Amino acid sequence: MVNENLFNKLIRKKKLIIRPLLFFTIIPYLTFICIIAFYPKYFGAMLFNSSVSIGIILGLMLIIIIWIITLLYVYLANKHIEPIINKINNV
Amino acid sequence: MFKFFTSSQSSDLNIVAIWMFLIFVAVTLYITFWAAKKTQSTSNFFTAGGNITGFQNGLAISGDFMSAASFLGISGLVFLSGFDGLIYSIGFLVGWPIILLLIAEPLRNLGKYGFSDVVSFRLDEKPVRILSAFGSLSTVILYLIAQMVGAGKLIEILFGLPYITAEIIVGILMILYVTFGGMLATTWVQIIKAILLLSGATLIAFLVLNQFDFNLNNFFNEAVIIHNSGSGIMAPGGLISDPISAISLGLALMFGTAGLPHILMRFFTVSDAKQARRSVAFATGFIGYFYILTFIIGFGAIILVSNDPAYLSSSGQILGNNNMAAIHLAHAVGGNVLLGFISAVAFATILAVVSGLTLAGASAISHDLYANVIHKGANDKSQMIVSKYATIGLGFMAILLGIIFEEQNVAFMVGLAFAIAASTNFPILFLSIYWKRITTRGVIIGGSAGLISCILLVILGPIVWVDILNNIKAIFPYKYPALFSMTITFFGIWFFSITDNTTQAKKERALFDSQYFRAQTGFNKERKVNH
Repeated sequence: MVNENLFNKLIRKKKLIIRPLLFFTIIPYLTFICIIAFYPKYFGAMLFNSSVSIGIILGLMLIIIIWIITLLYVYLANKHIEPIINKINNV
Repeated sequence: MFKFFTSSQSSDLNIVAIWMFLIFVAVTLYITFWAAKKTQSTSNFFTAGGNITGFQNGLAISGDFMSAASFLGISGLVFLSGFDGLIYSIGFLVGWPIILLLIAEPLRNLGKYGFSDVVSFRLDEKPVRILSAFGSLSTVILYLIAQMVGAGKLIEILFGLPYITAEIIVGILMILYVTFGGMLATTWVQIIKAILLLSGATLIAFLVLNQFDFNLNNFFNEAVIIHNSGSGIMAPGGLISDPISAISLGLALMFGTAGLPHILMRFFTVSDAKQARRSVAFATGFIGYFYILTFIIGFGAIILVSNDPAYLSSSGQILGNNNMAAIHLAHAVGGNVLLGFISAVAFATILAVVSGLTLAGASAISHDLYANVIHKGANDKSQMIVSKYATIGLGFMAILLGIIFEEQNVAFMVGLAFAIAASTNFPILFLSIYWKRITTRGVIIGGSAGLISCILLVILGPIVWVDILNNIKAIFPYKYPALFSMTITFFGIWFFSITDNTTQAKKERALFDSQYFRAQTGFNKERKVNH
C-alpha cells in the first residue's frame, strides 16, 4: 500500500530529526542542573577576569540553544515532514 | 458601598496606572462583546473556531506563561539571590522543545478540546476522563489560588484598593471575558497583554542598561559590589540545597510545562499541526526573550532599588516585598508614568492568566466530566450552558479561595501545580501517544498514584509540614517531589499495563496502530470533528 510505505518513511524521517534534537535539549539541561547540584562553586567562577560568571554565560547559552532547537525543528519539519504528510492525506 | 478608589495603604494614587487600566478594560470588554457574537457553539467556546494563526497563538501561549507571578516572582528572585532566578527561567523554557518535539502535533491531530481527548482515544473513556479532569482541575485550581492571592496583594499595593475589592474586580472581569467571549476573547486578551508586557519589560531593561552604556561587565560588576552576597549572586545559591532537590525541581519544570491544561488547550485554537508547530516556535522565542529581560530587571533592581531609601522601609527592607523589585525599578528608571504603565500591565496580566486558567477548568468540567461521563451524549447546547455555569462557578470559587488564602504563603502552589502536571498529566499523555502496551488499568493506577503521592509528598515536605503547619521536622525531607512522584507514575503505568491481559487491554492495544497513524499524519481529522 502506498500509504504504508509513505508512513514508514514519515516515521523514519521524524525519528531522524526528533531524536538528535531531543538529545541536545535534555542533555545540556541535565548537565546544567547537575552542575548546580554537585559543583555549584564551579558556576561562580568569573570568565576572563570579567564580572560575568561561567554559570550566567552557560545559562544564557542554554536559552539560545533552546531557541535554535525549536527553530531548527520547525524548519526541518516544514521541509522534510510536511510534504510527506500532505502526500499521505491526499492519497 | 465599597471604598472603591480610596486608598487603604498608600495615598499617592497613580493616575496613569488607573487610566491605563481603565483603557485596557474598555478595550478587552469591547473585544469580548465582539467575540460573543462568534462564540455560539461549544467548539467555538473552547477553540476560538480553530482560526487563530501560529503567530497569534505563539503570543497567546507566551502570555499564558508570562504571568504576573513569573514576571514579578522571577525578577524578585533574581533581585534576592541573582543566579538562582535563572534556574527557574531555564527550567520553564526547556519545557517548550519537549512540547514541540513530542506533544504538540499528536495532541493537535488526536484531540478536540484538551489532552484528555488524546488519553481517552483508545482507552476506556469514563475512568480516564475522570482522572484527566482531576489532574487538570488540581493544576488549574492551585495555579488559580496563587494568581488570585498574588493579584490581590499586588493591586492592594499598586492601586490602593482593599484586598477583597481587588479579588472581586479580578473575578468578575474574568467571568465576563470567559463566559461571553470564550476562547476567542481570552486569546485576544492574552495577546494584547503579552504585547504590553513585552514592551514594558523591554523598556525597563533598555533604560537600565542605558545607564551602563550597555556594558554588561560594568553592569554585573556594579550589582556584585552593591549586593550583600557579593559575587555569590553570580553562582547558584540557597534556592537548591542538595542534588536531589536540584534534579527534582529540574524535572518538574521541564515536564510540567508539557502537562499544563491551560497551555495544552491552546493547541486546539490553531487550524492544524503545522500551525501548532509554528506557535511553539514563536512562543519559545517570546518566552526566552522575556526571561532574559527579567534577569536584567532583577539585576537592575539590585543596583538601582536596593540602595535607594525611597524604596526601603525604615528598617532597610524593600517596600512591599521582593516581588515588588520590578515595580520599584520601573519607577526608578521611568518615573510615575512608567510605574503606572507597569502597574496596569501587571493587573492586565493577572486578568489574562486567570481567564485562561478558568477556561481550562471549565473545559475539564463540561467536556470531560459532564459531556462524557455524567451525561454521555449531551447535545452541544447543553454542553455550552454547562461550560458557562462552570466558568461562573470557578470564577466565584477563585474569588472565595483568594480571600481564604490571603494570609497564607501560596508561592509553593505554582510549584505543586507544575509537579502534579509533570507527575500525572504529562506521563499519561506522553505514554498514551507513544506506548502501544498502555492500558486503562495502567493509566488509572499509575496516574492516580502519581497524583496522590505528589500531593502527599508536598504536604509532608518542608514547605507545608514545617513552614505552614509549624512542625519541627519534615517527614519527607525534600521540597520538590517530582523525581519521586514521576517515578511512581511511570512505574505504576508500566507495571499495571504490562500485567494487564484482559480482553479490554487487548482491544486497546489493537487500536494503537491506527491511533499512531492519525497522531503522526492528522489523517481522518474531518471524521473526528463530525462524529
